[in-house]
Amino acid sequence: MKHVIVTGTVTYAIRGRDILRKYGFRATVERNSSGLGRLGCGYGIVVYGDISKAVEILRSNSIKIIEVNKL
Amino acid sequence: MIYLDNAATTGIKPRSVINAVNYALNNLSANPGRGGYETSNNAAMTVYECRSTIKEFVNCESENNVCFTLNCTHSINTVLQGTLKEGDHVITSSLEHNAVIRPIFNLFLEKHLQYSVAQVDKDNKVTVKNFEKLIRKNTKMIIVTAASNVIGRLLPLYEIGQLCKEKNILFAVDAAQAAGVIPIDMKQMNIDYLCIAPHKGFYAPMGTGILVAQKGIDKVILQGGTGVNSVDLTQPEELPERIESGTVNLPGIAGIKAGVNFVKNKKSEKIYKHEIEICQHLYNKLLKSGATLYNERPEINAFAPVVSFNYYGFESTKVADLLAQNGIAVRSGLHCAPLAHKQIGTVNIGTVRVSPSAFNSADDIDKLMFVLKKLI
Repeated sequence: MKHVIVTGTVTYAIRGRDILRKYGFRATVERNSSGLGRLGCGYGIVVYGDISKAVEILRSNSIKIIEVNKL
Repeated sequence: MIYLDNAATTGIKPRSVINAVNYALNNLSANPGRGGYETSNNAAMTVYECRSTIKEFVNCESENNVCFTLNCTHSINTVLQGTLKEGDHVITSSLEHNAVIRPIFNLFLEKHLQYSVAQVDKDNKVTVKNFEKLIRKNTKMIIVTAASNVIGRLLPLYEIGQLCKEKNILFAVDAAQAAGVIPIDMKQMNIDYLCIAPHKGFYAPMGTGILVAQKGIDKVILQGGTGVNSVDLTQPEELPERIESGTVNLPGIAGIKAGVNFVKNKKSEKIYKHEIEICQHLYNKLLKSGATLYNERPEINAFAPVVSFNYYGFESTKVADLLAQNGIAVRSGLHCAPLAHKQIGTVNIGTVRVSPSAFNSADDIDKLMFVLKKLI
């Protein structure tokens, strides 16, 4: 299963990606193409695998999450 | 030229820094944190890696705390103007640079900020007491230089940080003369805001600055595009983007990362020891020559590598001019630090300041002394 976790800033996105990779997730940073009209520009982390666990890990590491979208 | 004005900016940059800047200009000229294509992503990674390097070096909480600014003065202004409000009280030291005291005085004039200046003593315990005595109910922040840019004296950061923690006061440090030279551990020293001049102790290009903010910045002095949430017309809340409006200095940031690695690889404590030994060599020679010295003999853990002196009553500018004519660069005058000069009694005459770097040697000092003797 593939999701994008929209973090807004590229700093949160890269930091979040590195944290998820440490936990064994396949994760990449991408410029956010969804929600452009609502949120404007920004970045997200494309994650493969258990999205609930990924979100929990990011939140416990103080990564600000704007929204999660299924791809 | 023999360059001995490294307290202003390090005059010789390491090859690794030059190569990193060159590489960035050639290969990373795309806006970081804006685009989604390869070069922009690579540029964003370079910025992020630099944040990580700084995070490790100063021991702060996360990469989000590391913000890039135009210079150390910009960082200090961001802290002071961004956190202090009307009715707040701030305490600073008697050795501050104008980068600190001018924004404070301006806030005093414009926003009725209250401020006090604590005298820095030779005895660190007395210095800390001097700060403690000035604390009021409305004291919001203590901001100090980590090291005087005139006499090199180090301030007791750990002890002042402990005091701030006990009294629930914000602690900000102007580390222009200290970062990369002496160890700074933000968590151990309880530092909330650390302002860095990377073009000095990190040997990075000029036009770069760092603010490591462990606490928030309420009011930003620069607003604009951040590449984030562009539909929202208010400035983003989260650091570092909150204070990084506009395109960052990517080649400079690549240079900062290389500079920090240069200092780490050479071991900052070894560089510091080398620079202090050069200062001690100069101090001993000046003492024998009858020069007037304004600090005690520089010692490790008490001084930054800076020596201020005057020579046989000659104006400091005349001495610096003579040295410049003979290919030796030093700084004369007040060094933008009138408070420090008031403390040492040189506000009307200034001093000659010598500040070595990793690239100087005792031979440079011998040549300087040889030229000085031409004056008498």
